[in-house]
Amino acid sequence: MAEKQWHGVGRSNFVWHPTIDESKCTNCGLCLLSCGSGVFAWVKAENKYIVANPGNCAVGCTTCGRVCPETAITFPEAPDKFVKRAMSKYKVLPTVKKELQARLEKFPDHVIRGGDTGGEPGNG
Amino acid sequence: MADDFFAKWHGIDRAKITWGPVIDSDKCTGCGFCVVTCGEKRNVFGYDPEKKKAVVLFQDHCMVGCNNCQVGCLWNAISFPHDDQYVRELARTIPKEQLQKELKAKLEANPDLVRE
Repeated sequence: MAEKQWHGVGRSNFVWHPTIDESKCTNCGLCLLSCGSGVFAWVKAENKYIVANPGNCAVGCTTCGRVCPETAITFPEAPDKFVKRAMSKYKVLPTVKKELQARLEKFPDHVIRGGDTGGEPGNG
Repeated sequence: MADDFFAKWHGIDRAKITWGPVIDSDKCTGCGFCVVTCGEKRNVFGYDPEKKKAVVLFQDHCMVGCNNCQVGCLWNAISFPHDDQYVRELARTIPKEQLQKELKAKLEANPDLVRE
């Protein structure tokens, strides 16, 4: 299977994933529930949650860490610095533009004309 | 997408939670990063191709605690009404039984997330 991409850049170029401080973690499982990328797993024998698939983590995502009631999850760097630097380094905006076109073709009701002015009657 | 997916956050009425992006359209350059960074399921943003601006369409579909759109906005045009402390305090109010119920369902549906 082809490598997962982040706006045209191979995911393996990025070291970005959560780390759990086991001394703070109470194994509530909210990290696993909050992650849509399958980063976490539950270890049945020890009834604990672990970072099982760090490479699945969405680059710049810190949602699990932000919801963690115990502040037990950390990331390599502040996400805005990490992502903005990566965007500049890899010049991702032309790819983002293509992705935007694809998204709007797939979801045409997300194309807004008129914006804040309230739109134009009979448009189209 | 069933509406009830967006109605609750771990048992808490989503309508009672203030969480979602706000765009300063004067700063937005229309690059589209926020639009495509948000997942297709939640798909919070729309886009005005004439004005070349991103638009917030469904603020209450935003994943509570996620600000992935904001961290990649090179023009700092996206803000959120609260910081992560707000989310953390909310998370602390979720009953353990609620999480257990959801965990059981998610792990049953995704056996690859279980290690023996």
